[in-house]
Amino acid sequence: MGDLLGFVLSGLVSGALYALLATGLVLSYSASGLFNFAHGATAYLCALGYYELHSGFGWPAVPAALLLVVVVAPATGWALDRAMFRKLAKAGETAQIVATIGLLVALPAAGLWAVELLRDAGVSVQPAENQFGLPGVGPSPARSWQLMDGVGVDSDQLITWITTAVVALGLWVLLRHTTLGLRLRAAVDNRSLTELRGISADRLSSIAWMLSSALAGLAGVLATPLLGLSAHDYTLFLFVSATAAVLGRFASVPLAFAGGLALGVLQNLAAGYASFADRITGFRTAVPFFLLFAGLLLMARRQRAAGTAAADVTTPDYLAGASWARRWGPWAAAAALLALAFYTVTTPFWSGLLTQGLAISLVFVSFTLVTGLGAMVSLAQATFVTGAALVAGLLMSHGWPFVAAAAVGTCVAAVLGALVALPALRLGGRSLALATLALAFLADQVLFQLGRLRNGDAGWSVPRPVLGPVDLADDRAMGVALIVLLSAVVAALSALRGSATGRAILAVRSAPAAAMASGISVVRTKLVLFALSAGLAGFGGVMYASYNTRITATDFTALTGLVWLAVVVAAGLRRPQFAVVAGLVFAIVPHLFQTYVTDSAHLPVILFGLAGLALANDPDGYCAAVSVRLRRRRAEGAARIERTTADLPSPTPRRPLAAAPATSRPPALELRGVHAGYDGASVLHGVDLTVRPGEILALLGPNGAGKSTVCRVAAGILQPAHGTVLTHGRDGTREGPVRRSRDGVLLAPEGRGIFPALTIEENLTLYLPGRTARGQVYERFPQLAARRGVLAGSLSGGEQQMLALAPLLQRPPKVLIADEPSLGLAPRVVDEVFAVLTELRAAGTALLLVEEKAAEVLGLADTVAYLSSGRVSWCGPRAEVETDRLTEAYLGIAAPAGTGPGGRTDVDVDGEVAGRDR
Amino acid sequence: MSRPIRFLAAAAASLLLATACNSASTSASPQDKAGASARGVTADSITVGGIVSKTSSSGYSKADTDLGAKARFQRANDEGGVNGRKIDYLGAEDDGQDPSRNLAAARKLVQQDKVFSVVPMSSVTFSGADFLQQQKVPVFGWGTLPAFCGPATTYGFNGCLVPSPGGTITQSWPESLAQALGGAKDRSVALIAADSDAGKFGIRTYTQGFTAAGFKVTYAKASVPAAAAPSDWSAYTGEILKSNGGKAPNAVVSVMQTPQNIGLFTALKRAGFHGALSDPTDYDPGLLAKATTAQALDGVYVLVQFEPFESTSPAIAQFLKDVRKVGGADVRPNLHMMTGYLSADLFLAIAKKTGRDLTTATFQKAADSFSDTGSPAGERSFPKGHTQGFGCGSLVRLKGGTYEVAVPFKCYPAIPFT
Repeated sequence: MGDLLGFVLSGLVSGALYALLATGLVLSYSASGLFNFAHGATAYLCALGYYELHSGFGWPAVPAALLLVVVVAPATGWALDRAMFRKLAKAGETAQIVATIGLLVALPAAGLWAVELLRDAGVSVQPAENQFGLPGVGPSPARSWQLMDGVGVDSDQLITWITTAVVALGLWVLLRHTTLGLRLRAAVDNRSLTELRGISADRLSSIAWMLSSALAGLAGVLATPLLGLSAHDYTLFLFVSATAAVLGRFASVPLAFAGGLALGVLQNLAAGYASFADRITGFRTAVPFFLLFAGLLLMARRQRAAGTAAADVTTPDYLAGASWARRWGPWAAAAALLALAFYTVTTPFWSGLLTQGLAISLVFVSFTLVTGLGAMVSLAQATFVTGAALVAGLLMSHGWPFVAAAAVGTCVAAVLGALVALPALRLGGRSLALATLALAFLADQVLFQLGRLRNGDAGWSVPRPVLGPVDLADDRAMGVALIVLLSAVVAALSALRGSATGRAILAVRSAPAAAMASGISVVRTKLVLFALSAGLAGFGGVMYASYNTRITATDFTALTGLVWLAVVVAAGLRRPQFAVVAGLVFAIVPHLFQTYVTDSAHLPVILFGLAGLALANDPDGYCAAVSVRLRRRRAEGAARIERTTADLPSPTPRRPLAAAPATSRPPALELRGVHAGYDGASVLHGVDLTVRPGEILALLGPNGAGKSTVCRVAAGILQPAHGTVLTHGRDGTREGPVRRSRDGVLLAPEGRGIFPALTIEENLTLYLPGRTARGQVYERFPQLAARRGVLAGSLSGGEQQMLALAPLLQRPPKVLIADEPSLGLAPRVVDEVFAVLTELRAAGTALLLVEEKAAEVLGLADTVAYLSSGRVSWCGPRAEVETDRLTEAYLGIAAPAGTGPGGRTDVDVDGEVAGRDR
Repeated sequence: MSRPIRFLAAAAASLLLATACNSASTSASPQDKAGASARGVTADSITVGGIVSKTSSSGYSKADTDLGAKARFQRANDEGGVNGRKIDYLGAEDDGQDPSRNLAAARKLVQQDKVFSVVPMSSVTFSGADFLQQQKVPVFGWGTLPAFCGPATTYGFNGCLVPSPGGTITQSWPESLAQALGGAKDRSVALIAADSDAGKFGIRTYTQGFTAAGFKVTYAKASVPAAAAPSDWSAYTGEILKSNGGKAPNAVVSVMQTPQNIGLFTALKRAGFHGALSDPTDYDPGLLAKATTAQALDGVYVLVQFEPFESTSPAIAQFLKDVRKVGGADVRPNLHMMTGYLSADLFLAIAKKTGRDLTTATFQKAADSFSDTGSPAGERSFPKGHTQGFGCGSLVRLKGGTYEVAVPFKCYPAIPFT
C-alpha cells in the first residue's frame, strides 16, 4: 500500500509537468489549429534562461523564474505567433507540422547560439552544456520529508504540485469566468464566427500562444532539476505529454490537465509493476510511447480519418502539359553534369560528400510518396531505414549477396510500413503523425534493442556492392550508381502519379468516401502507399548503410526522422526530384557553412529549422517557390491587363436604381462592381448591390450563382479582386470581418451562426455582455431561458437559428447579412425566423437576405435582386418582380442567347444585358 | 511515358558503363601506394586532427577533450616535437553526436585536411570508423565504442573497453571495490542498469566480473527507463533493498549515466541505505559545484580508468601543468581533458617509437609491439589493447565536497568472458 501511495504521489510530479505542457498544447492548438512540436523547445529555452539568470548572473530564484514565465515566454509566444503561426494556420497541415518541427530544432540552437554570442561578447554566462542536479526554484539540494515508510516528498516536488494547482485554478477562472476566457473558448469553437462577431481571432490567437508559451516556460523552469539542460529530453517529455493532449482531444483544457496527471501516475505504476516484462528489453523505457499510441487509437476516433486532405490542397502543377523536355530537361542535364563532375572536377572529399547526399536522397524521396502524394505525415521513416539496413546487414553477415540482402531488407521495411499504416486507416493529420512517431520510438526502444537484430553497439558491416565490372567501393562509382538509381526512382514515382494507382491515391487523399463509392479500396490504397514508401526508405537505408559500410541501431533515431521530414518538406514534396535537392543540401550546406561562414555549429541548425518558417509563405517548399512565384507574377500581370481592358468602356449603369423607394436615405451597405473568386477561379464578375437602412434586399439565384460569395465579400471574409464595398458611405473594401463587424455589418452565416460548444447563456453573452439585455431575450424566448445552461450544439436546428438571431433584437445591427437563414428548417420555424427579420427591419437594420426559397421571401423583401453566373441580372422593387423573370433567373437563362449561361467574358455583352433589362 | 523511360535507360546504361571503365582503372585509392601513406607528414611536421562531440542535442558536451589533446601536443612541440617533427594539431571537428556528421568529419580530416592521424576521437557514435580503417588512418580515442576493438589502426588510450564473448573482462572495478570494502568475501552487491540492449550487456559482464571477484550478486537488472531518468525511484530502491534475502546488499553498483545515478543514489539514501554506492561515470569535478549533485554523490565510490587528478604522481602533476598552460591557470581538470590528453599521449609515444621514417605502415609496425608503463593510463600495450582493456583503475570517493583517492590506481589481471 505504501508502495502504491508512493508511486501515485511521485507520479503526480511528472504528471503535473505533463499537465502543464499538455494544457499549453491544447491552448495553442485550439487557437490556431497547430500541434506545436516545438512546445518542448520553448520549455527548454526557459530552463536555459533560468539557469543562466539564476546560476550565471546570480539572480534570486523567484524573480528570475517570474521574469521568464511572465515576460520572456509570453513574448516568445507572441513573436512566434506573429511571425509564423498566424500564417501557418492558413497553410496545409503538413506545412504546419513541419514548420513546428523546424522550430523544435531551431529554438534550442538559437538559445545555445545566444549563449555563445554573449560569451564571445565577454558577458559572464555559464556554459550551456547539459548538467545535472541544477537548482530549481526551491532550496538546493531539495529538502525532503519522509511521510511514511517508503513515501517521501521533497521541496521541488512540493513546489511543482503547488504551482500546478495554482495554475490550474487560474486557468479555470480565466476560461470560465472572464470575457477573455469566453472569447477564447468561442474562438476555439468556431474561429470564423468569432471574427464575424467583431472579435479579432488573430488577437485571441496571440493571447492563446502567449498563455501556451508561458505554461511551457513554467514547465521548463519547474523541470530544470529533473531534466537538466537537454533539449532532447524536453522534447521527449513533450511527446509524452502529447498523450494527455490527445486525451483532451486537443480541445478540452480540463481533460488534458487531468490526463497529464493521470499519465504521470500511470507511467510510474507501469514502471513499478512491469516486472512481468523484464525479459522484453526496452519495455519500461517505452511505456510512455505505448500509452501515447494507445491513447491515439482510442481517443482519436472522431477525427477526420482521411489523410489531411481538406487542409492540404494540392497546388496546380504549373508544368502540367509542358513538353517533356521542359519538364525533365533541366533535371536530366543536372544529373548528367553531376555524374560527369564526379570524374572530372570534384575532389575525393567532395565526391564523398555528394555521394552521401545522394544516398540520403534515396531515403528522402520516400517522403514524396507518403507525404507528398498521400498527404499522410509519416514520422517513422527512420525506423524503416534502420530496420531494412539492419536486416540487410544481418543477412550479409551470413554470406548473402548484396542484392539479395538489400531486397529482403527492402521487403522487411515494406512490411514494417504496412504495420505502421494500420493506425493510418483510422487516423489522419497530426494524430497520424504522432502515432507514427510513437511507433518510431517503440521501434527504437524495443524492436531495435533485440540483440540478434542490432548486434550490440557494433552493428553490422554492409560492404559496398560489386556488380560485375562495377565496383562501388569507389565513391565516384557509388555516386554515379546512385544518380542512376535516383533517376529511375524519380521517373517511376512520376509515372506512378499519372497511373491508375496514382489517381486512386489522390482520390483517397481528397475524398475517401467518394473514392470508396467509386470502387477504390481506401484500406488497400493506404497500405500500398505506406508499404511502397517504407520499402523505398528501406532501400535507401541499405544504400546509405553501404555508403557508410556499416549500420548500427543508433545511426537513425526517431528524432532523425523528424529532422529529415523538415528538410524534405522545406525543399518541397510536389515532385520527387525536389527530395534529391533536399538530400544534397542536407549533406553539403553544413559543410559550406562551417568552411565559409561560421565555426558555430548552431547557426546551420537554426537555418535548417527556420526553413520551416519559409513554409508559412511558400507551403510548396523552396524548390517549387521559384516556379510558383514566377508563374504567379505572370498570372497577376495577365489578370491586370485583362481587368484594365475590361474596365476601359466605363461600366454602364445597369440597374433601374430609381426603383428603390427611399433614395433619400444613404445606403448602409453598397457593393460596387465587385469581382471576386477563389484561387484564380473567379465567381463574381461585377456585382452592384445597395442595401438601405430599414429595408430588406432579397438576393435570389440558383445554386452556384455566387450568393454566398456575395455574403462573404459583404462581410469582409473575402477580399474582392476588384471593385469597392462601402459601409455607411465609407470605403471599407480592404477591411476584414472584424472591422466590418465593428462597423455594424453582421453576417449570419449559412448553417447556424452559433458556438456549439458554448452554452446558450455564453452564446448570448458574447453579443450581449449586459445581464439585463440577456434577461430581455429570455423573456421574449422562454424556450431559451429554460435551457440557458445547455450546450448550444444540443439544440434543434430551429432553436439554434433563433439563438443566433434572438440577441440581435436587443441590439439591432446596422446591417445584417443573412445567408439562407431558413435552410433546413420546418415551415413554422421559417415563419418565426422571418418574423424576427421583419422586426429587425422595423428597428432600422438594413438587411441583405440571401435565399433560395424565393416564394416566401418575396412576401418579405422590399427590393429583389437576381444573381446568376456571378452577375446581378435584374434588380428592382418587389412589385415589379415577374414570375417569368424569376424562373429565368433561377434557370440561369437571364442572359441573352449569345452569351450562354457562363457568358462573362465580354463587357459589351454585359452592357447589352443591362440595356435589355432596362 | 515510354520516351522518358527509354531516355533514362539509355542514360543509365551509358553512365554505368563509364563508371565501370573508370572504377576498374582507378579502383585502388590514389593515396595507397604500397599500402603505406605519409599523408600529413612533412620533413618537420605531422598534421593531426580530432573528432569530438562538442555539441549535441542532449546538451552533453565533450568539448574539453580538444583542450586536453592540445595541451599534450603543445608540450610535445615545446620539447622539440617527435623525432624532429612538430605536431600540427588542427583542433577537433564537432560531430554533434550525429553519425552522418561523424562520417563527414572523418572524411574531411583525411581527404581535405590530409591528416596523418585522427587524435582524439571522442563521441558516442563513430560511423567514420570503417572509412578511417579503410584508409589505414591511425585513430586514437577512448575505447568505449566497438570500433576501438579489433581494427589494427584504431587505438583506445586504455585499450578496448567493449568486451566480447570469448575475450576478457577487465576487473579493475570489482577488485578495487573489494579493496575499498575490505575484501569481497561475504559481501553482496546489487547491479542496476538502464533498460536497453547496452544496459543488458553491462549487467551480463559485470555480474560475471563481480562474481569472479568474490562478491555475491543479489540483484542484477537492466530495468531503469533509458530515455529519460525517472522522477520516482521507489520501485527500484524497494526491490534492491530487499534483494539480499530481505535485507539490503552491502553495495549498490550502478552502470548508468549521471542523471540516473543522482536520482538512484538520492533515493537509496533517503530510503535509509547505508552501504557502499559505486558508479563508473561520475568523476567530474563539475558535479561538486552543485549542491544537489554533491549531496547525492557524497560517499559514492567512483571508478576512474586512469590515475585520478587527486593522485600525487609526477604524471598527474605534469598533466595539470600542461592543461593549465593551455587552458589558463584556473582551468578545472575533467574527464574529457584527460581522455584527449591520454589519446594524444599514446599517439606521441607510438610516433616516437616509430622513428624518423613515418608512414602509416611504419607507424603500424611500431604500434604492434608497443608497450610502456608509467602513463596515467597504466600499463599500455598493443596489440593486446586492440582486444582488451589495460585493466587499470582506481576508486575515488567524494567526501565533504572533494574527491579523495579511496583505492589507488592499479592494474588488475583480466578474466575470460564467457
